[in-house]
Amino acid sequence: MKSSCTAGHMTLSSRPMSLILTGMLALALSLIGLTAHAAEGEMSKESKACLSCHDKEGVAKTLESGEVLSLNISTQAYTESMHKKADCEDCHSNLDSKTHGKVKTSIKDKREFTLGMRESCRDCHKKKFTEYEDSVHAAQVKAGSRKAPICSDCHNPHTVRSTKIVGPITETPCAKCHQDIFKAYSKDVHGQERIAKGISAPLCAGCHQAHAVKAASMGDGVKDACLACHKEAINQHKDWLPNTARHFDAISCPVCHAPDAARRVNLRLYDSTAKRQVAEKTGVPKFETRTDAADTKAMGLDERALWSLLKEFNQDGGDGKMLLRGRLEVRSGVEAHQLSEKSKAIKDCNTCHKQGAAAFQSVTLTIAGPDGRPLRHGVQNEVLNSLTSMESVRGFYAIGSTRIKLLDYLLILVFFGALSVPLAHMTVKRLFKGVREKLEAERLAAAQNAETQASTGNRQKDDASK
Amino acid sequence: MEKLYIHPLPVRLWHWTNAFGFLLLIATGMQIRYLDLIHLIPFRTAVVLHNWIGFVLIANFFVWFGFYLFSDKIKVYHPELSPKKYFQASFRQIQFYGYGIFRGDPNPHHPSAYKKFNALQSMLYQIIMLLLVPIMFFTGLLLWDVGRFTSIVEALGGVRVVDTVHVLLFIVFCGFIIVHVYLASLGHTASAHFKAMITGYEDVEDEPKH
Repeated sequence: MKSSCTAGHMTLSSRPMSLILTGMLALALSLIGLTAHAAEGEMSKESKACLSCHDKEGVAKTLESGEVLSLNISTQAYTESMHKKADCEDCHSNLDSKTHGKVKTSIKDKREFTLGMRESCRDCHKKKFTEYEDSVHAAQVKAGSRKAPICSDCHNPHTVRSTKIVGPITETPCAKCHQDIFKAYSKDVHGQERIAKGISAPLCAGCHQAHAVKAASMGDGVKDACLACHKEAINQHKDWLPNTARHFDAISCPVCHAPDAARRVNLRLYDSTAKRQVAEKTGVPKFETRTDAADTKAMGLDERALWSLLKEFNQDGGDGKMLLRGRLEVRSGVEAHQLSEKSKAIKDCNTCHKQGAAAFQSVTLTIAGPDGRPLRHGVQNEVLNSLTSMESVRGFYAIGSTRIKLLDYLLILVFFGALSVPLAHMTVKRLFKGVREKLEAERLAAAQNAETQASTGNRQKDDASK
Repeated sequence: MEKLYIHPLPVRLWHWTNAFGFLLLIATGMQIRYLDLIHLIPFRTAVVLHNWIGFVLIANFFVWFGFYLFSDKIKVYHPELSPKKYFQASFRQIQFYGYGIFRGDPNPHHPSAYKKFNALQSMLYQIIMLLLVPIMFFTGLLLWDVGRFTSIVEALGGVRVVDTVHVLLFIVFCGFIIVHVYLASLGHTASAHFKAMITGYEDVEDEPKH
């Protein structure tokens, strides 16, 4: 970058006095230069030259696709942006000043242009770019999505401001694509607090991260984000919630904290050896083929289909280590952003632990798609109450609501069976009362007879001895 | 009738604590499992009570275990090592409950301080106390705080498997308690064995003179 500061880089005199004077002069010129630079927005001559054309209303280029690409850059906005110290050519290094604006260049469409430009972001923002490359957004871009965001879709490079500046929540770039979710967020407890108090409440990136964004329904990332702010949450729940750790493990926070949300059981295919959710391999789609084949009537997978599906995934090299880990969650991203005040959160155990509870009426099987987003297939809710699916859904159980029906029948059978033992025994005993009395009388008579015979015998012995 | 002291105090204390504890566990367990059918106490209260009673009974188990382990009364549980003798005694006992009792025949087992159980009781109580009750308590402990014992729960096949074992044993104990109470009423009077488990003294018929 060239700047007026170069005025300070003077040739030094060999004499000491003139060296000091020269140094002082250089310093003074530097300070004057810096002040002037700041007043002008620290802009180089070259950049000024660029803006002399580009800071004009209506400057635009029609692309091959017919789209109109605005080429208007506001000098004021740029000098207030985080990029104010960067020169135009730092990012637009491919432009040749000799031909720029004179020779017509062809650009297919806006997407091709922004995709081409993002490499210049990487030059300075290596860490953030690496995080982004691991995100669900980057995976979608790689998969050919034209809608998935790249750097400039969220950060206008010519107006980008510091993230420390709290702007209106509507300026959040995520809102451009996730309108429904953002609408729900703006009404929920975080959104309302953000509007009222500013930075203290989380905005999208606070929970989902700005660049390493993952599909929220995969993994436990969002829960960790909740606990990062609500550090006392686990201890506070321990005060009243039995089996707190299990609840935290198997239930996503909005299930209770978005009380009006519809819920479902998400059976996630999990690799217990690698300790991560199973992901569909790129280019080898199996999930949809297999689930569609197993669910011929399209009524959702039953316990048998679920079991054979699990077996198939294990045959791929899972070696019995593929299992289903169930999690209770809300059904949509919109519902996950309807968080209420703490006082309105669900604390009534009956909501989930009652047979027929609404939360267990919807069941879905999920694996991670090649782009990191979930691939789902419906499962019949009876699998949660079936003995035959014990192996498949062994890792998910909610007392009462997902109890195995066969055990209920067994309890009834054993209860009445055990009751019938004394009843039958007492009945037979009563029927035998006559026999018992008769035998008792016979025994008594025999005993008396024996006693009589014994006393007669004794008397005869006595008589004989006399 | 002769009075024999065959139920020492620690055994009686263990027995009644266990009996009432199990009844409470069954009641709270039913409330926990069948929330849609039973509304005696709130679910959370039932869970907390169930857990506490469970811990009391685990401690109580060690009263029983410690007493028999460190006293000569352990002889009451000594197994009959001769299968022939054991099966003969068991058969006689089954024959008594299934037939002789209706005819008014005397009980073939004559209890004493060191031989208070008949062959069937001796075997059944050992299976219950050394196998079923410990499994019940162990699975209950795992279910009390699944998060704390995740690795054990997973090694045993998952929370659903552990719960199923717990519930199966609950069903077994429900049946056992009903039959146990009835058989306890088959003394020389209906209340004789119950009184004996309170006083410690069992009324024992005089040995027939030969």
